[in-house]
Amino acid sequence: MKAASLATALVVALAITGCGTKKGFEKPGFAFGCPIGESKISSMDDLVKAKTAKEGRQQADVEIEEIRCTTTGDLLKVDVVVFNDESDVERMLYKFRWSDAEGMRAADEESWKPVLLYGNSRQTVTTIAPNTRARDFKFIIMGQE
Amino acid sequence: MHTPALPRLLAIAVIGSALIVTGCAKPKTRYGDAGSVETVTNQFGSTDLQMLAEGMSQSMLSEAPAISSGNLPIVTIQEVKNKTSEYIDTRAVTNRMRATLQKSRKVRFATDDADMQKQIGEVQRQQSEYYDQEKTAQIGKMVGAGFRLTGEITSIVKETKEVKDVYYQLFLSLTNIQTGIEEWSDTKEIRKTTER
Repeated sequence: MKAASLATALVVALAITGCGTKKGFEKPGFAFGCPIGESKISSMDDLVKAKTAKEGRQQADVEIEEIRCTTTGDLLKVDVVVFNDESDVERMLYKFRWSDAEGMRAADEESWKPVLLYGNSRQTVTTIAPNTRARDFKFIIMGQE
Repeated sequence: MHTPALPRLLAIAVIGSALIVTGCAKPKTRYGDAGSVETVTNQFGSTDLQMLAEGMSQSMLSEAPAISSGNLPIVTIQEVKNKTSEYIDTRAVTNRMRATLQKSRKVRFATDDADMQKQIGEVQRQQSEYYDQEKTAQIGKMVGAGFRLTGEITSIVKETKEVKDVYYQLFLSLTNIQTGIEEWSDTKEIRKTTER
C-alpha cells in the first residue's frame, strides 16, 4: 500500500514538473523547435535575441515577439510573430539568412521583402528552408525609408 | 596699351565655377543590391518578381504533397498567362521558381514546351554518323513529366488624380498529368499605392 502511494506521488510529481523539462526545450539543441546549437537559451526572449539581427541605417520600430520552428518533411519551417506596439503604421523589410550544420551559407542571399504592419497589430512571417542543408537561420530586419 | 583683363578673368572664373557646381552634368553609375526593394514606379518590378517567385516556391515545398513527400516528382512548366494590362515576363517568374526548386533537390523538371524544339533538335543532331553512337542520346529515352505547373497573373488598377493603386494576384496550380487531379494551388498578392 505504501509503495503504491509512493509510486502515485512520484507519477504526479513528474507530471507536474513535466519530467524536469521546460516547455519548448524538450529536445536537446533546440528551443521552441528551433536549432540553437551550443547557445545558452532559456526563454523565448533569449531565442528571439539569438535568431534576430537588425541591419541598415533605418531601424525597424517593431518587436519580435515569438519565433517557433517545426519541420515539414525534412525541411525546417519557421514562424516569426512581429508586433507593432505603436499606433502608427510601420513598414519594415525582412529576409532569412540560412546556414548549414557547419555554419556555412546554405543558400543564396534572399531578397528583402516588405511588410506593412498596422498600428497595434501583429503579423506572422512564415518561411521554409530552401533545402535540407539549411539547418539554421537568422531573421534579418530593416526599417523601410 | 592697357587692356581690361580683370573683367575677362572674372567672367572666366564665373563660368568655370558654374560648370563645377553643376558637375558638368556627368551621370554617375554605381552597382546596387539586386535584392533591395525597388519602388521607382508602381509598375511590376524586380521586388514583385522576387517576392512572388520566392513565396510560390516556399508554398510548393511545404504544401504540395507530391513534393513534400520527397518522391522527387518530375514537373513541366506550362504557360503562366499574363492577364494584366502591362507587359510582364511571366517566364522570368517561373524561371526563378524553377531555379529555387531545383536547388532544393525536391523537384526535377522535364523539358517544357518552349524548349522542346531545341531538345529534339539536339537528340536528332546526335544521331549523325559523326558521333560515337555508344555515347549519344538515343531517340525514345526522354522522360515525361508527372505534373504540370500552370497559372495566370491578373491585376486591378485604380487611379485618381492623387492616388494610383495597383493590385497583382499570381495564381499557380500543379496538376497530376495522369489523373488530372490538381495536387496544389496557391495565390500570392501584392498591393502597391503611389500618392502624387
